[in-house]
Amino acid sequence: MPPRVPTVNDLRVKLCYICREEEHADTPQEGLPRAWTHPCNCTLIAHEQCLLKWIQTSQGTASRAPNALKCPQCNTEYEMHSDEPLVLKGLAIGNRVLQRMGRYFTVFAAAAAVGVVSTSVYICLTAYGAWAVQKFIGDELFQLILTDDPVNWPWSAYINLPLLPISLILSRFQTSSSSMVIPLLLVWPPSTPVGEQSRRLFEYWIKPENASRLSRMSLLPAKVWPPPPVIFGIVGIPLVKLLYKKCYSYLYWRVLGTKLPQTRQLPREGLRFNEGPFVIRIRANLDIGGEAQQEGEDGQHEDGEPAPAPVPADGGVLGDPNADPNAVAVQAAEQLIEVDAASLGRRVGGALMIPAISNMMGSLLFRFSKHSSMLSTFLGIRPASRVSGSVPLPPWGRLAALTSGETRWKELSPLMQAKVGFKLVMSAFLGGSKTWLDSDPVWWRNGVGFGLFIVAKDCVQLLHLWLAKRELESRRVKDRDFKGVDVRELDLLPSFLQREGL
Amino acid sequence: MASISARRLAKELREIQSEGCPVGITLLEANDFSRWLFTIEVMGESLYQGEVYDLQFRFDAQYPISSPAVQFVVTGGKQSPIHPHVYSNGHICASILGNEWSPVLSVIAVCVTLQSMLASCKVRPTDNDRYVRNAPENPKKTLFHYDDDT
Repeated sequence: MPPRVPTVNDLRVKLCYICREEEHADTPQEGLPRAWTHPCNCTLIAHEQCLLKWIQTSQGTASRAPNALKCPQCNTEYEMHSDEPLVLKGLAIGNRVLQRMGRYFTVFAAAAAVGVVSTSVYICLTAYGAWAVQKFIGDELFQLILTDDPVNWPWSAYINLPLLPISLILSRFQTSSSSMVIPLLLVWPPSTPVGEQSRRLFEYWIKPENASRLSRMSLLPAKVWPPPPVIFGIVGIPLVKLLYKKCYSYLYWRVLGTKLPQTRQLPREGLRFNEGPFVIRIRANLDIGGEAQQEGEDGQHEDGEPAPAPVPADGGVLGDPNADPNAVAVQAAEQLIEVDAASLGRRVGGALMIPAISNMMGSLLFRFSKHSSMLSTFLGIRPASRVSGSVPLPPWGRLAALTSGETRWKELSPLMQAKVGFKLVMSAFLGGSKTWLDSDPVWWRNGVGFGLFIVAKDCVQLLHLWLAKRELESRRVKDRDFKGVDVRELDLLPSFLQREGL
Repeated sequence: MASISARRLAKELREIQSEGCPVGITLLEANDFSRWLFTIEVMGESLYQGEVYDLQFRFDAQYPISSPAVQFVVTGGKQSPIHPHVYSNGHICASILGNEWSPVLSVIAVCVTLQSMLASCKVRPTDNDRYVRNAPENPKKTLFHYDDDT
C-alpha cells in the first residue's frame, strides 16, 4: 500500500491566506464548517469562498486578469471546474468575436470617414485646379490639352491640378518669394492634345502624305514672340521678378524715405487673423532661422556700431530711440493698415482669385489691343482664321509609334533620324509643343495682365502707406481754451490776471 | 459579525503589536480600519540615510481582495522621498499596489517592499509635473504603466 499523501483536511492548523483566519482541528468550530482548498503546489491554503471571490474580482479587472488564476507565491495555475454548458461557452466566444468585430468596425469607420472627407477635399482641389488652368490658358487651349471631361486627362493632371490651389494659398503665407505655382504651370506647355482632338490629329498625321511632311517640317518655333512658355517660365519670370523688385524698392525708398525691409518678418507671436467676431491665432515658429539670424545681428548692434534702423518686432513706436524716424513712421502706418487687412479669408480668397484676375486682365488687354496694333503685336494675338487652320503636331506618345511604324523612318539615314528626334524633343521642351505655339497665346496676355495687376496693386498699397504715413505725421491734438472752467480754480499767471483786471 | 476586511486588519494589527514592526518601520496611527499611518526610514548606508517619511494606507471594505491605497504624506510639512517611482504629491508607481497586488501580501509586506525600493537613485519621475497636475486624489484611480527595472 503506497503512503498516503496528506491533503488540506489533514492539517492541524489551517490559515486562509486571503482573510487570515485560522481554524484549529482540535477546537470545535462555531457556525457552519467552511470548505478549504489547497489549489497550488506550495503551502498556501485558503477558504474556497475567499479564493473564488478573489479570482472573480481579479478577472473583472483587465490589468489583473492575467494573474487571476495564479498562485501569488509559486505561480502555479489554478485549475477551475465549473458547470459550463455548451451554450455559455458559445455565448462567451460569440461575445468575444463581436467585441473584436466591433473594434475592427471602429477602425474601419474612422478610416472610411477620413477617406470620404479627404476624397471630397481632393475633388474640390482638382476641380479648382482645372478651373484655374482653364482661366489662365484660355478656353481654346484648355479644350485641346485637358478638355472638360476628366476621362481624357493625363495621369499627371491628377497630381498637378490639386497642387495648384494649395501652392497658390501657400504662396500668400510665405515670407520668401519662391512659390510652386510657376513650376506647376510649366508642366502644361510640353503636354499634347488629348481626347477627341488627339484622335483627329493622329488620323491626320497617319495619312502618308502628311506623315512624309513630318521629317521635313521645321519643328523649331517659327516665331520668337510671344516667348516660348517654358523658356519664359524658367528664365523670364525670375528675371522680371528681380527687375521689378529692384524698381519697387527704389520707388519705396523715394516715396517713403526709408528702405524696403529686407524680408517681411512674421510677428513673433505667430500669425493673427481678425475675422470680425473671431480672432484666429496661429502660433508657429515658421521662420526660426531668420529670427535667429536677426537676433545675431541685434547682438552686433550692441557692440557700438551704428545700426541700420531695426524693424521693431512688436511694432513699438517707442522702440529704439536711434531708429530712423521715417522707418518708424512707416512701421506705424503699416500697422494701422494691417489692422483692417488681417483676415484669413482675405488672404486665402485673394490667392484663389488669382486665375480669375489674370483672366479678366487678359481679356481687358485683348479688348485694348483692338485699338492699338503695337499692343496687339506685343501680346502676339492671332487672327481667328489662322488659329483654326493650323494643325498641331500629333500627340507625344503616338508620335513614336507613328514614325517608327513608317517605313519612311527606317529609310532615313541614322543622322537624319537623330536630327528629327532632336528637333522633336527640342520643340517640345524649349518651344513648347506646337499646340501652344499655334494657338492664340491667351496665357501670355493673362500673364502680362496679372503682372500689370500686381504692379497696380503694389502702387495702390504704396499710395495707401504714403498717405497713412503723412496722416500720422500731420496729427495734432486740438488745443482748446478754458471756456466753461471756473477761473478761480486755475492757478493763473499774474500777468494774465492783471491784463484781465481780476 | 465584523466584515472580513475588519477582521483581517484587526489580525494584522495584533501581529504588529505583538511582534513589532521590521527595522525602520513604525506604526504611527491605526485608530480605525480605514486609515493607518507608518513612518518609514531606509536603513544602512543609502542616499536616504536619516530621512524619515510618513506612509499612509487607506483601506476599503473589500480589503484584502482590493489593494490598499498607499501614498506618502505630503501635508503638514512632510515631503515624499525623491525617487523615480514617487511623485511629488506622494503617489507611488509600484506594481504591487496595482496589478500585482495579492491578498497574500500584508500591510507590513508592502512597507518592507517600499522600503527596499527606496534604496536606489534620487530623482523624480520624468513625467512628475504633468502627472501631479492631473492626478486624482486617490492613487488607485491612476492607471500606472509599470516599467520593469528590477
